[in-house]
Amino acid sequence: MKLDKDTFNLSELEGLRKFALLLGALGLAGCVFGFCTHRDQFFYSYLTSLIFWLSIGLGSLFFVLLHHLVDATWSVIIRRLLENVMITLPVLLFFFIPILLNLHDLYHWSHADAVAQDELLQQKEPFLNPAFFSIRAVIYFLIWGVLANKLYNTSLKQDNGDGRGLALKMRNISGPGMLLFALTCTFASFDWIMSLDPHWYSTIFGVYFFAGCFLAILAFTTLTLSFLQSKGVLTDEVTIEHYHDLGKLMFAFTVFWAYIAFSQYFLIWYGNIPEETIWYLHRWEGNWKYLSLFLVLGHFVIPFTILLSRVPKRNIRVMTIMSVWMLVVHWLDIFWLVMPNLQKHHFHFSWLDIATFIGIGGTFIYFVCKRLSSQPIVPVNDPKLQASIKFVNV
Amino acid sequence: MNTAESNISPSAPVDAPLITGNQSFSSVTRRISEIVEVELKKTPKAWYIAFSITSSLAGMMTLMIGWLLWEGTGIWGLNNPVGWGWAIVNFVFWVGIGHAGTLISAILFLFRQRWRTSINRFAEAMTIFAVICAGIFPGIHVGRAWVAYYMFPIPNQMDMWPNFRSPLLWDVFAVGTYFTVSCLFWYVGLIPDLATLRDRAVNKVRKAILALFSLGWRGSNRQWRHYEKAYLILAGIATPLVLSVHSVVSMDFAVGVVPGWHTTIFPPYFVAGAIFSGFAMVMTLAIIARKVYSLEDFITMHHLENMNKIILVTGTMVGYAYACEFFIAWYGANTYERAIFINRAVGPYAWAYWTMVTCNVIVPQLFWFRRWRRNIVWMFIASILVNVGMWFERFVITVTSLSQDFMPSSWDYYTPTIFDIGIFIGSFGVFLTLFLLFLRFLPMIAMSEVKGILPEADPHYYKAQEIKDKQVIGTEGEQVQLS
Repeated sequence: MKLDKDTFNLSELEGLRKFALLLGALGLAGCVFGFCTHRDQFFYSYLTSLIFWLSIGLGSLFFVLLHHLVDATWSVIIRRLLENVMITLPVLLFFFIPILLNLHDLYHWSHADAVAQDELLQQKEPFLNPAFFSIRAVIYFLIWGVLANKLYNTSLKQDNGDGRGLALKMRNISGPGMLLFALTCTFASFDWIMSLDPHWYSTIFGVYFFAGCFLAILAFTTLTLSFLQSKGVLTDEVTIEHYHDLGKLMFAFTVFWAYIAFSQYFLIWYGNIPEETIWYLHRWEGNWKYLSLFLVLGHFVIPFTILLSRVPKRNIRVMTIMSVWMLVVHWLDIFWLVMPNLQKHHFHFSWLDIATFIGIGGTFIYFVCKRLSSQPIVPVNDPKLQASIKFVNV
Repeated sequence: MNTAESNISPSAPVDAPLITGNQSFSSVTRRISEIVEVELKKTPKAWYIAFSITSSLAGMMTLMIGWLLWEGTGIWGLNNPVGWGWAIVNFVFWVGIGHAGTLISAILFLFRQRWRTSINRFAEAMTIFAVICAGIFPGIHVGRAWVAYYMFPIPNQMDMWPNFRSPLLWDVFAVGTYFTVSCLFWYVGLIPDLATLRDRAVNKVRKAILALFSLGWRGSNRQWRHYEKAYLILAGIATPLVLSVHSVVSMDFAVGVVPGWHTTIFPPYFVAGAIFSGFAMVMTLAIIARKVYSLEDFITMHHLENMNKIILVTGTMVGYAYACEFFIAWYGANTYERAIFINRAVGPYAWAYWTMVTCNVIVPQLFWFRRWRRNIVWMFIASILVNVGMWFERFVITVTSLSQDFMPSSWDYYTPTIFDIGIFIGSFGVFLTLFLLFLRFLPMIAMSEVKGILPEADPHYYKAQEIKDKQVIGTEGEQVQLS
């Protein structure tokens, strides 16, 4: 890996790209095998992995929108990295097609005979039906694709154009963009995760999913930065101050995630209405109980304790370990949302969890790398770039 | 990137200066201190007029509360099933308003938003006064207010302990903690300014009092170091409180299984609404104060515009929550939940519901446009409409869900009495009385913090100034020679 110091073009990335592609191909081969032999397990594992990578993509889109909206300075240097992830988001539509073609394997409400016997599902049918579900999925991806493309292309244009004016243009896109993001992210989580258990509902579910997305991208960015720097890329430009800020946000959103998770759990526990508590009861049966408790510990208590003080956030090694940790617990969180619908009473991990994860992830990373080497890896003409590099936490 | 940006301290303002009118350290001190240093006899007449009106309203409230204690809560419009009326609505309304101060002083501080310095002092003051107003209502709503101390876990001879599973008790703790921390935060922020006033005081008594409250502040380097650390820690502690207080208030409703109350989005939704109404109230007061005291240099259009942006963001979040609630009420396919929401939109309280939606969701949307964000008349109207809307939001939540409960035979319409209305108006009297006293006796803008964002605060400022002066002298010299 080599960075041209004048143009900020990254070259010699073929190794990583090939590695990602190989992993992806291996994983996808596993997926095909799993699809034929363990169909049930395959689809649930596949959905878990897809949601995981989707959350990274959505997180990056949110980060870029937020960056423009608040006119941030410190994050200019990492903006392009996030944009590369964001622009890869539409690739996931391709991975969503198998789900659209096999709704019956995942979604109980897609069975006409089940609906015929279920009064509640009949009432929900105008929303939960295969045709409308598919249309919505396409609309979500369309919105994300258009937003990502617009922001990405404007950002590239900025490299050789009017820095200030195009920054303003991106801010103008981000206003309505944020609104669209909030709605699509919410409804995507309702559709793809919440409706796995079509009787259950929670108004905060979209916010819960969003909290996970943002945490995931913070961890993913930190990890990417520390990886690039270990290869000697951006070692002068990205400083410990940027890690510190990423760490602060990671800390804040760990607390935010816990706040949202607690709000949902606590209100349902206190209200104690069977139609709501059943969702948590499924996650309290057999060894699910231990995973539920682990999430409290691993997704909140541990990162909270570690990230609370200043020193760990200013230590690249600690931040790298914490990023890996956050991504693992984030994956477990999604697993915890999806899998109880298949593995009732008792959970176990499957080789398909890994196969689908690297299958989708490898391909995703491959496309990210491709973008990484095709453009300067920092927005070279952003008026705040210098300020971003020099910025310090006082 | 212009060169000025890269050379000055990294967190310095990037765009236009935040404080206009070429202010220096001394002009800031003079400008803000002089407002409170006016002799008592020379207090403007307008202040006395305003004060007599607001304190009369506060007095009216006191009388009405006296009558309430004598006669009982029957003098309110409460009925069966609507056991929670205006008192609870007003409580939530005032607690909500009390959220902007801490958000501005804690969260915006952590997010390095330097424009907060011009508005944080009086937003914090407003927070404290709003929480005081809020505190009145649950106290009198319990009926037998003289045993309100039962809510505190005080060891007593009856061996009675409050019910820790009751949201009412959580309120006592949440609001109590919030009030304490807000007061501390406000006071810590005031110390350097009180010391400034002390040093300027000519009257001995005044000097002695200010000396007492400024805790021996000398402004030494060491004191500032400790002070800034303390401020950061307080900001860190206050940040979760911004979220916790209104979350707990929302649980007063959401832990119950009443349709329209029991929904999981309530905590963050209430927090967004609280910040929304709090900012609107800061806006209303800021527009008046800046006009009356000619503080346009300190609270500039830039500040007002930023506040309008926050109003737009939080108003839209509230709109998102309304939409989510409505959608899930339908999606959940729970008959009662659906009925209550349809009833809100088209039932007997539809007028209140649509007032709420119009004021909270539609009105702020104009702030998408820069022109409207910078229009003083519009933002003044909008800020008032927002608080009207937020009051109605609490009314809609509290009353519509109760008035048509599970048993149609007990349904009833709620109508307030003169005492409901009087006590609510009176609470504005209390709020504004305290606020007027604050404007009269304490510096309404944090002088020391504003100084921190002036160009003069930059360590290289004097050096840069020297170079500039030399250049000016040089050119003048050349001109002299030439002529």
